[in-house]
Amino acid sequence: MIKQKMTKWLENVYNCPYLILIMVSSVVAMLSFDEIGIRVMNHIMTQDRTVSVVGDIVKAEEHQTQGEVPVIVEEIQDTGIQDALNQNVVSENLQDELQNAGERKEETDGIENINELNIEIEKSETLEKQEELVKGTTKFLPYTPLEIESRYYSDAGKIALTTEYPYTLENDSYFNDAAFLGDSRTLGIYDYVGLDGADFFCDNGMTIFKLLKDDGVTEQGTGQKVDLKKVLQERHYGKIYIMLGMNELGYGNTTMYLQEYMSVLKQIREWQPEATIFIMANLHISREKNNMATEFNNININDKNVACARLANGTDIFYLDSNPMFTDNEGFLLSELTFDGVHLYAKHYDKWRQFLMEHGVERGDSAAAAVPPVEETMISDTDAVGAVESMEGVQAVDAAPAEGTQ
Amino acid sequence: MLFSSIGFLFRFLPIFMIIYLIAPAKYRNFVLLIGSLVFYGVGEPYFVLLLIASVLINYGLSRYMFWEPKSPQNNRKLKAVKRRKRALILACVFDFGTLFVFKYWDFVAENVNGVAGSRWLPILALALPLGISFYTFQMVSYQLDCYWGKVPKQAGLLAYANYICMFPQLIVGPILRYSEVADRMAERRIRVRDLENGLKLFAAGLGIKVLLADRISTLWNTIMTAGPGNLHITAAWMGALAYSFQIYFDFWGYSVMAMGLGKMLGFRIPRNFDDPYTSRSISEFWRRWHITLGSWFRDYIYIPLGGNRKGSGRTICNLFVVWALTGLWHGADWNFVLWGLGFFLLISLEKKTYGNWMERSRVLCHIYTLLIIPATWVIFAISDMGQLTAYLGNMVGIYAGRVMVGTEQVIRYLKNYGILLIMCVIFITPFPRKWYHRYKDRWFTVLFLFAIFWWSVYEIVVGSNNPFLYFRF
Repeated sequence: MIKQKMTKWLENVYNCPYLILIMVSSVVAMLSFDEIGIRVMNHIMTQDRTVSVVGDIVKAEEHQTQGEVPVIVEEIQDTGIQDALNQNVVSENLQDELQNAGERKEETDGIENINELNIEIEKSETLEKQEELVKGTTKFLPYTPLEIESRYYSDAGKIALTTEYPYTLENDSYFNDAAFLGDSRTLGIYDYVGLDGADFFCDNGMTIFKLLKDDGVTEQGTGQKVDLKKVLQERHYGKIYIMLGMNELGYGNTTMYLQEYMSVLKQIREWQPEATIFIMANLHISREKNNMATEFNNININDKNVACARLANGTDIFYLDSNPMFTDNEGFLLSELTFDGVHLYAKHYDKWRQFLMEHGVERGDSAAAAVPPVEETMISDTDAVGAVESMEGVQAVDAAPAEGTQ
Repeated sequence: MLFSSIGFLFRFLPIFMIIYLIAPAKYRNFVLLIGSLVFYGVGEPYFVLLLIASVLINYGLSRYMFWEPKSPQNNRKLKAVKRRKRALILACVFDFGTLFVFKYWDFVAENVNGVAGSRWLPILALALPLGISFYTFQMVSYQLDCYWGKVPKQAGLLAYANYICMFPQLIVGPILRYSEVADRMAERRIRVRDLENGLKLFAAGLGIKVLLADRISTLWNTIMTAGPGNLHITAAWMGALAYSFQIYFDFWGYSVMAMGLGKMLGFRIPRNFDDPYTSRSISEFWRRWHITLGSWFRDYIYIPLGGNRKGSGRTICNLFVVWALTGLWHGADWNFVLWGLGFFLLISLEKKTYGNWMERSRVLCHIYTLLIIPATWVIFAISDMGQLTAYLGNMVGIYAGRVMVGTEQVIRYLKNYGILLIMCVIFITPFPRKWYHRYKDRWFTVLFLFAIFWWSVYEIVVGSNNPFLYFRF
């Protein structure tokens, strides 16, 4: 009797290989991967959250963004000081990062270096002032920041405004020696703005971290993957527009983003010494898409924008904020301009085109000549050391994203 | 809870199945009901109460319908008829009333206010309880079946509650009839083979949903992101095709998962799709698309109205009612009404004019359906009338301004989505299904479905998985 039962049972087991495969592999997978095992409760929460973002009902409290309406205009006239200030902020953060990474000593040296360099910058700034060069200023509007508990970002507490500068109105030919580097939004500029003369290097999901890596970026128009390092060394560009930051919202943190941005700019500056670099603000997202429970929200985007805006020096690096054209007074992307809450409809890129045309920078030969060679070297030097620092910084915190992106 | 979520796959389902299988047969209905309520309650902690209340009220009314008073009265039979009618009306008022308040009130109020030019009716902005359109229809179907005597014996409360709430079909159908589950509800044996085949079916459905529907949905989104109005005719058609694939694989995948789960629980859940895109006419398409909904409208609306037996004028009228309601069932907006009435027009025309003539050429029939169906899905997808007309304009080559998504973008999309589109085309044909039925016990199918399952899980974990399209109903 028992034997009969056993045979029957074994027969049954033999008849269900799929059930057994799935069951065994599930147990193994649940024990080995956090995503479907131990941390599954978090994931259930995430799933629910995803539903509420995509679905119609988004909870009211998730809508707050941008903190309070900005009250005072914090005007930083002297970009030298501002740079110094920025450098300090960066170095503070850097210090935090590295304390965590446990490589403190080496870094404190680095910070001292940076501070010394800041003094040098200030000196060079004063030098420059004496020669009365036209120099743009990047202003920041402060507001009361929100408390954010996220390892990816914090509330910057200010909004970066387009670098103030006597921009000129340009025509299509201005973009003939321009390169655009960016993510899907830049792809949108390529597709719908119609700047035929410019080169576009962009991909969906592009990040500042991937931009100069060996994997390459698609050159739009040819559709070929190219190594941007080579391209930037071989070709000559007068203007380089960069817009990156969206795909970094949930990767690393803002400090790392800033450091990588700095080192990318430094690299580009080395290969393209005469190019005017435009850092373009990342476009905000719509109220429906904004989600405070995830890192996908305008406070994070603004944090990234403020970070990269700090790199604008007003002479050859400018910050362009196109957000005011497309957002409401709370900073949300207007929902009638977008299908997915992230990208503009094709027809609205005309406005962006106008914006790019209106923000031309003519640094004629005279201006270039007027720039004292000392200053040039100074800046590239500071950049170089700063970048070396940040490179180390990135290496030191490299462990962080590895565990952070779990 | 979504079927294609980690919480369902690796928490709810294994725990539930273990309890369900070790429970003695007579407690299984109870375990199933509790499990289903947990399943629903995780996603809808408040509306689960509405669901329970609806089940109890409907059950009470069906009891009332069957109730035979003991005391002998002279015109007992007449009273019984009256009572049954009263119960039926009460049940319908309650069921459709609830559905109306949650789903249609705002739509009606907005339109009435719009016409009146003032705020006569308040906008409630209620959230839609998950699956309300589906379970309401099942409840009404039971009441009508009782009224017409198609349910010979009153169901027990537990059996009735399970018929409505059973988690495989609770939120996205299929819309069951009580007769389809009655015998299994009373007694069912779960064999190991059922578990095995049910799980295979479930994995196949999961793959269709996650690996086809969710991935092709980004193509439609990309094209909609550019915005209707400036799409080249090829881009517009590509978007329409992508959406047609997305909505089919999404819903079909879900239905297949429901069938698989049903099998694992010892039930037989009917097929909801029968290769609809290979139909040769729109009438045929609707006999093969969302079969349980189509037959619901046929049996409970069209035929009671007189069907096609009361002259051709009345037939057209009945068709009009059925299709307007079918449109509205899918959503409370004018584009859904338009969508439903589009089918009314096409089906009436097929019946009265070119239907017979077209049947002479198979190829022509297929071309006809394959051109019409994507266009109807565009009407279904876009609620904004301005955008809808712009998109339909693009599909026939009328552009509002400059063409912005042209050949270059289309070639890029083809590069990115080419293989996926080919897969989609393969999966709208009957061949994968036939292949599955023929070879489902062979080792290569087992390994293939094993890979599909884990690939889907990987996609769920890594990607941001979008919820079912049909969740807004």
